[in-house]
Amino acid sequence: MKLRRPLLLGAAFFAAGSAALAQNPFSEWDLFRQLVMIPGISGQETKVMDFIQADLPKSLKVQRDAKNDMWFTVGSGRPHILFVAHADELGFTVDKITPQGLVRLKGRPGFLPQACEARPFVIYTAKGPVEGIMVPRPDFDAAKPQPYAPDTYEMDLGPETEAEVRALGVAEGNPVIFKKHIVDLAPGVAAVRAVDDRAGCAALLAAALQTDWAALKGRTVTCAWSVEEEIGLNGAAALAKVLKPDYVFAIDTFVSSDAPLENNRFADAKLGFGAVLRALDNSSLVPKTELNKMLKLAAAHSIPIQVANSRGGNDGSVFVAGGAVDIPISWPGTYAHSFIEKIDSRDLAALTALIKAIIADF
Amino acid sequence: MPGVRRLARIAVLIFALASLAAAADVRALIKEIFPIPSATGNEQFLAAKIAGFLPKSAVLSADNLGGVYLKLGTAGGPVIAAGLDEFGYVVSGFTPDGYLTLDRAVPAPLSIADSFLLGHPVVIMTKMKPAYGIVSQPSMHLLTRERRDQLAKDLTLDLVFVDLGVRSESEARAKGIEILDPVTFWPDLTTLANEIWSGPALGQKSLCAALIAAAQEMVPDRSSAADIVWAAQSRFPARGTRASLGMTRVRAKSGATRAIVLDTAAADRGPKSPVLGKGIVLLQAKDAPSKVREAIEAAALEKKIPLQYHMGAESPLMAPFVSDGGDAVGLALPVRYAGTPSEAVSLKDVQALAVLLAEIVREGRLK
Repeated sequence: MKLRRPLLLGAAFFAAGSAALAQNPFSEWDLFRQLVMIPGISGQETKVMDFIQADLPKSLKVQRDAKNDMWFTVGSGRPHILFVAHADELGFTVDKITPQGLVRLKGRPGFLPQACEARPFVIYTAKGPVEGIMVPRPDFDAAKPQPYAPDTYEMDLGPETEAEVRALGVAEGNPVIFKKHIVDLAPGVAAVRAVDDRAGCAALLAAALQTDWAALKGRTVTCAWSVEEEIGLNGAAALAKVLKPDYVFAIDTFVSSDAPLENNRFADAKLGFGAVLRALDNSSLVPKTELNKMLKLAAAHSIPIQVANSRGGNDGSVFVAGGAVDIPISWPGTYAHSFIEKIDSRDLAALTALIKAIIADF
Repeated sequence: MPGVRRLARIAVLIFALASLAAAADVRALIKEIFPIPSATGNEQFLAAKIAGFLPKSAVLSADNLGGVYLKLGTAGGPVIAAGLDEFGYVVSGFTPDGYLTLDRAVPAPLSIADSFLLGHPVVIMTKMKPAYGIVSQPSMHLLTRERRDQLAKDLTLDLVFVDLGVRSESEARAKGIEILDPVTFWPDLTTLANEIWSGPALGQKSLCAALIAAAQEMVPDRSSAADIVWAAQSRFPARGTRASLGMTRVRAKSGATRAIVLDTAAADRGPKSPVLGKGIVLLQAKDAPSKVREAIEAAALEKKIPLQYHMGAESPLMAPFVSDGGDAVGLALPVRYAGTPSEAVSLKDVQALAVLLAEIVREGRLK
């Protein structure tokens, strides 16, 4: 049999899967695609904050606090409306380098442990990013291995001595995150690590860029990007000491059960069906009167919206003690705290429109 | 004699540059073929890619499983063969809401292989182009203790659903996906220090690359005495045996009684295991004299390539060549984390394998 030599495009054949859609620097989707790739674990969010600040108009007076929370305030009088999205993502830090050249990590990052096993992660050093593999369980090739539940996660970077690892620039405290790829599943539907909460950051940034702040009358609006949400709402807690809003809109993932391994008894907001009013979670319960007000607002602006209850906490909850009403607003996100957090661009567009509507008319 | 010393230095420099060029070629070859899915039974894309790397003058043929044959020797002469196929899954069904279910076509390389799917992207190779999916996992916020235990201890394909970002079976099918389309891990090539690369099925892809690099050197002079084969369905067992179906077909088509069979060897798994970056592993069912082994050792000596030895290896790939008294020896690439989505190979080992194979055939050492 004679072998045919058909044309094949090779590596370029596979590039389409991660190809970006048409770029628009001011659209929430394009901002999201840029923001999601920036490393920024809890406590080390500077690059994310710098990106956001660089995009904001110079006319806005941007402030940062000692923790690196960032915000600007426009307008005067009541109500004082605060939006807050968190800039941090889950990850590890370098704890120790062993004499054998393995890198021990610190932190319980909140991922499914077995999803980390034998997968690539990246250490961000002063010399640049260094790639490595999360060492699998010791008996990974046994017929009946033990479950993967490491007390300490370890990375293999290639070298076999501590000195070689240090020569790469690796040092204690370096942030470590999963090696990210944006997987474009369908037009406007993507999956990647850290959609939580870079999508929220992007929606707030896009709304800030698309708002005519000079036209704001009879209210005060603060847009804030917080740090350390994933490790205890620490950034928001610091902000709550200086900001006393009447309403706080935490912008974060609605952890959706729109997936085959979930129970749809609750968290039943569907991807592609609009923004979400996160009416009930582990940290807040939105008063019914405010929910109804939000639904009317969305209807008046023709914004598709869903109301649902889910799990998790939100940054807005720490402002409640200061007198604020916490109304978390979201997009429906599946596979939260995974490496494949999924998002639909239509939902993000609806969320951005909702933020703009609140600024203008709430 | 300064002139002689100078000439010697120039010669060393030329040799070093030539080695660097060859190393660069292996890197480029791996990068080219690494992303191409080649699950067992679906090797046609990689087969075509390999054929494209060989000179137009090369005499190529195929068997009826899809294996690629480069004719260099005489009928019944020795062969050097590597498998074309990587472990992968196939689409076994569509759910009404547009998710894919999976099945295996061949035995998994590890008992925990399925657990590597959970929460990661995959590639579904349709007739014409790849489609992309992610394997569903529960959100951590919604995860119950019962589900967590189930996923940690007993993950089976019953719990594996590929999410294509669509909401119906018809939308999934509109992507061109059909039952039995191959499904493989996202081809993410990771670069470690010390010239180590890592990625899914990187061991097998590196073997293919080394054999291509060797073949590219052999074709021009045509003095070789061995045929070169990239065998399809090498991971599928021949009915009623442990032997590889693909290699059984190679044995039958070529009539070869002497063979070098390329394989991977799990590296860094204990004091007796091969070591990554320390040379090619010579595999033999028992430590016995062999013309093929002699040829390999002579070539390794000539090229100063270190060999590691692993005896007692009952490889399904070698079985068809040794079952009736044939002389077959395995040459294996050490692979760290073999069978995981992050198989790690040393580029030094891959390069050494390419050089060793070229030396064996170019010098007619298997004649």
